[in-house]
Amino acid sequence: MKNQNHASFLCLAAMAVLVLWAAGLRAAEDDPPLSETDQCLSCHLDDDVMPQDYGEHDIHMQKGLSCAGCHGGDPANDDMDDSMSPAAGYVGIPDKKDIPRFCGKCHSDIDFMRQYQPAIQTDQAEQYGHSVHGAKLMRGDTSVAVCTSCHSGHNIMPASDPRSTVYALNVPETCNKCHGDAQYMKKYDIPTDQYEKFKKSVHGQALLEEQDTGAPACNDCHGNHGAMPPGITSISHVCGTCHINNMEYFAGTKMAAGFKKKKLHGCEECHGNHEVPKPSDKMIGDDKSSVCAQCHESGDKGFLTARVLRTRLDTLAAAYRKASVMKERVNSLGMDDLDIEFILQEAKQSLTKARTMIHTFDTLKVSALTTEGLVKNQQAIREARVQIEAYYIRRKGLGASTFIITLLIVALYLKIREIERRQKSTTGEV
Amino acid sequence: MKRNRFLNIILGGGTLAWLGSIFYPVFSFLNPPKRPEANVHSVKAGPADKLAVNSGEIIKFGRRPVLLIRMDTGEVRAFSATCTHLDCIVQYRQDSKQIWCACHNGYYDLRGRNISGPPPRPLDVYPVNIVNNEIIVSKPKQMG
Ligand code: FES
Repeated sequence: MKNQNHASFLCLAAMAVLVLWAAGLRAAEDDPPLSETDQCLSCHLDDDVMPQDYGEHDIHMQKGLSCAGCHGGDPANDDMDDSMSPAAGYVGIPDKKDIPRFCGKCHSDIDFMRQYQPAIQTDQAEQYGHSVHGAKLMRGDTSVAVCTSCHSGHNIMPASDPRSTVYALNVPETCNKCHGDAQYMKKYDIPTDQYEKFKKSVHGQALLEEQDTGAPACNDCHGNHGAMPPGITSISHVCGTCHINNMEYFAGTKMAAGFKKKKLHGCEECHGNHEVPKPSDKMIGDDKSSVCAQCHESGDKGFLTARVLRTRLDTLAAAYRKASVMKERVNSLGMDDLDIEFILQEAKQSLTKARTMIHTFDTLKVSALTTEGLVKNQQAIREARVQIEAYYIRRKGLGASTFIITLLIVALYLKIREIERRQKSTTGEV
Repeated sequence: MKRNRFLNIILGGGTLAWLGSIFYPVFSFLNPPKRPEANVHSVKAGPADKLAVNSGEIIKFGRRPVLLIRMDTGEVRAFSATCTHLDCIVQYRQDSKQIWCACHNGYYDLRGRNISGPPPRPLDVYPVNIVNNEIIVSKPKQMG
C-alpha cells in the first residue's frame, strides 16, 4: 500500500513538471520580439533608419538592452515627440568627447554590471583616462579613439566572440584602422607601419597566419583601455609577462644595468618591437650580422663572450642535427628508433634551455647546458649505431640463409641424380 | 663414395641450418623485446598505490612522453608532457601543485590549461582509468 502511494505521488510530480515545462515553452514562444514591443526599434526598423553599423548580435540587444538603454527615452511610448523628449530621459547621440562617460554610466557601476557577470571588470573608463587616447581626449582632441572606435557603436560583441572587433585575431586590424592611416595620424607624428611590421613578426605570424589566439596582439603589450607605449623601465616587464626566464636572466646582468643608465629599451634593443623576428643563433656572435656587433667592437670583452656563446650553441645544434639524421636513418631502415627519439627530445631541451640561458651572458652556465646536450646527442648516436649494425646483421643473416637454401637445393638435386644413377646401375647388373 | 659422403654432409648440415633460419625468426616473433609500440591506444602505467600523492612521473606513451600526476585528493591525471611552446618536457611541481616547463618558466594548471609564461595552448589530456589498482592511460579522443 505504501509502495502504491509512493508510485502515484511520483506520477503526479512528473506530470506537474511536464505541465510546467510545456507552459514555460508556450510562454517563451508567445513572448513577442523586441522589434514589436520596443517602439524605438519598431519605428527605426520600419523607416529603415537604423544606425549604419547596427548588428543584431550586439551584446546589449542580446541582453534585452535596446536603444533606450544607452540613448534614453521611453521605448514603450509610440509618440515620437514624447518618447524622445528630455522629460522621458532622452539623451540622443552623445558627443564623441562624452562617449567614455556615456558608456561608463553602466560599465563603471559594479552594482549594475555584476548582474550580467559576477567578476566583470568595471575599471575600463578609469583606465581609459590614463591612456594616451584618454589624455588627449581630455585636452579636447576628438580624433583619438574612444570606446566606439574599437568596439563599434551598435555591433558590440564580447572579446571572446570571433565576430567581435576586439577578438584577439581582429585586434591588429582594429588598431590599424587608425594607426595605419598615414593621413589620419599625420598630426601625431608617429609611425604608421606597425601593422605591416607586426604581420611579419614571430608574434604576428603566430596570431594572424597560424590563428593562434595565445600569441600576443597589440593590446597584450600596450594594454587596451589604458593603452600606452611601454616605457624604458616597463619594456622588459611587458615582454617578461610571457618570457619570464628571459626577463629574469637579463635583469641580473651587468648589461641590464648599463642599458638602464643609457636609457636603452631592454629586450627591444636586440629583438626589435613590432617586427620581432623569430630568434636564431645567428643573432648572437661576433660576425657583422649579429646583434652583439651592433654595440660591441672586435676584441672587447662582450665581443669575446658573444663568440664563445655562439660556438657553444653551434656545436650543440650541429651535434643535434647529426643525431637527428641518424635517427631518421634508423627509422627509414625500419628499425626501432623510439628510445633514440626520447633521448633526442632531452638533447633538444638542453639546446632550448641554453638558448634561453644566453640572456645571462654567462659562458659557464651556457656551457653546462650545452655539455649536457652533447652527452645526450652522443648517447643517441650510440643507440642509432647499435640499431644500424643490427640491421646489417639481419641483412647478412638473410644472405647466409639464402646461400644455405641454394646450396641445399643443389645438393638435393645432385643426391637425387646419384640415387637415380645407382638404381640404374643396379638394374643393369640384374 | 667420397662424393656421396660429402653430399650427405651438405644435405644434413644444410637442412639443420635451414630449420634454424625458419625457427629463429618464429621464436623472435613469439618472444619480442620489451619495447613499447609506436602506435598505442593505451598503456599500463603501473600500480596506482606506487605513485605517491602530490607527485608526478613521466611515462612513455608510444612515441610521446606523458606526465602522470597523483593529486592531493588521490585522483590520477595524465597530460601530454610536451610543452606547447617549444616542445620541452614539462614536470609536476610539488611546491606549487602545478605543471611547470623549465625551459621558459611556463605553467599549466592541473587541468592542463596554460596559465602563465609563453605556452600558447593547453596540454592534451589523456584519460586515466584505474582497474584493479593498475593505472591505465588511454589515447585522447581528439588524437584519433
Ligand atoms: S618550451 Fe615550455 S615554456 Fe618554452
